[in-house]
Amino acid sequence: MFNSTGNNFGAGSIQFKDYQAENYVVLNAKFTYDPTNAAYLAADVLEIYVPDLAIDRSAVAGVIMRFRDVRTSYGYTWDNSGGTALKSWIKDKNTICIEKLTNFDEKGDITIYMQALYPMLNQPGSPIKGTRTRINMTQETRYLYWDSETFCVIFDHWVFVHIGFSSCSYSYRDSPWEATMGNFPTDVCADVPFCGGGNQYNPSVNGISEAHIENGIFTCQERTSGFEDTGYSPFIFAFLVRDGENNSE
Amino acid sequence: MIAKPSIAFNDFSGTAKDVTARTVQGRNVLSVRAYQSKVFTPSQAATRNQLSKISREYKQLSDSQMQAWEVLANHLKGISYFGKAAEMTAHNAFVRINSNRLLAGKSILMDAPSHISNIPGVVYDEIWVTPSDLIIKGIVHKNDPLRLVIKMSAGLSAGVSSGWSKTVIVSAGIEDDWGDANVRGRYMKVVGFAPAVGDKVFLELYWMNTDTGFVGASAFDSKICITSEEAEEEGYVKRNKITMDDIQPDSHVSDCDVDFSTGAPVISFDTVCLGHSNVASSEVYLNDTIPEDCVGTSMALGRGMGNDRCALAAQSYIIWLRNYSWGDSTITFAHRGGYYVQPTEVFGPGILY
Repeated sequence: MFNSTGNNFGAGSIQFKDYQAENYVVLNAKFTYDPTNAAYLAADVLEIYVPDLAIDRSAVAGVIMRFRDVRTSYGYTWDNSGGTALKSWIKDKNTICIEKLTNFDEKGDITIYMQALYPMLNQPGSPIKGTRTRINMTQETRYLYWDSETFCVIFDHWVFVHIGFSSCSYSYRDSPWEATMGNFPTDVCADVPFCGGGNQYNPSVNGISEAHIENGIFTCQERTSGFEDTGYSPFIFAFLVRDGENNSE
Repeated sequence: MIAKPSIAFNDFSGTAKDVTARTVQGRNVLSVRAYQSKVFTPSQAATRNQLSKISREYKQLSDSQMQAWEVLANHLKGISYFGKAAEMTAHNAFVRINSNRLLAGKSILMDAPSHISNIPGVVYDEIWVTPSDLIIKGIVHKNDPLRLVIKMSAGLSAGVSSGWSKTVIVSAGIEDDWGDANVRGRYMKVVGFAPAVGDKVFLELYWMNTDTGFVGASAFDSKICITSEEAEEEGYVKRNKITMDDIQPDSHVSDCDVDFSTGAPVISFDTVCLGHSNVASSEVYLNDTIPEDCVGTSMALGRGMGNDRCALAAQSYIIWLRNYSWGDSTITFAHRGGYYVQPTEVFGPGILY
């Protein structure tokens, strides 16, 4: 765990959970910035300044940005929050970069979910193959259904997770959701973006909701309004750092 | 030939049509006007157009800007920013610096940059030249705004000891690809043909500061083209990655960079998937087999590049990397999460299992 030493877009201090190996790093952070602030407006690329990382540059990775867009009409709340994937890379030992996408700046505060693995390239040896482990999502009363690409790949210090939503029983569609993630490490705690679902007022992107994983339990308090629209296949994609005594080699 | 009396009989001096007559040391010499035999290539035409464009821009400068360029030119007279010390006018400096910037894809600099410049030399491990590979390996990386310029000659006789005057720019301001500069594609575009085994290729390399247009000291080298087998015996290890050069033209991607050289539990993707046949997937047909330890399944993020609904949608893709028993090898990018968009760029690390 470490804190940023600064940034060029007015986001304040950012706390990172990290796993740093010799030739790649896994970084987790969730932070918000105001796209009307002067520092952000002056920046071409968003830069976060950090203490020395284990690697001095990386290939491009992906992070998720999310804006909030909640409207009320005739007493009904219509959540059109959305977002997309942004490119992110490590420029040097002390600078993490995120591409600046201005399409949604008028929406107000933007939240970035950095749950990414930053690899180096032209490294010796072949890629290391992991083992796919199916996540067994269970509930006392089953109302959530998941697709076959709901799995994780577990390493000692971090885990890759992909969750594919399939459907929800009609009577539970507006309730808080909870499910036990069988076979998933219990030492992971993170807010994760739940990408997918239609977005009527922001049709250039999917809806994006937020879920939470802790102690092997998946929760999702609320979803965007078009969450179950056909063809929008909500999913979670994240490289998550496990909480360990010493996560740096 | 039309011979005018003044040319034919009066000391043979003057020009008529394509013929020029003159007296040289008491001898009459007739010469036919020389025409350029080479076809003007588009890049030559573009370069010459750029030079005249830059020259015209110089005339648009304000007095104070011209003065600043004069000051800079005075500093450059004694400094070897361009490989050799030379007299330089303000106009010269403006044209040389801006032609460098344009080569690197930058705009024309109207204000003179500071003359203080510290550009390192190019440090690299090895250059490999085979009929199928032209690659510089082990380049010590430099961050922006430094970009690498590589000049190379066509394959010359192995007996030529100095062919650097015959080099042409094959890469004008590239970033090294993690220590590699694979310039075969660029070389083929500029030179037109690959060197043959036994040919000698001359190279000149230097860093260019794309902000100021200044360049560093050149590194000069030459290599004899050897066979791929000889290169492997001598220690050349081909980078484990798949690019557009390695795939068949009927593949459903417009850009492809699948890099296995992470040494980590991921593959790095930078691919634009076009989709096909109303199926939410894209097939990439490979020329060669995938190394056995890279065969498997991966999963990566994507982002739409479309114009319609969900143009920018975040998506997830499962990626199958397969060698088939009948000899084919493919990479399949199959859409899984988010709204499916054509085209979509699939980028970043994909877990491998």
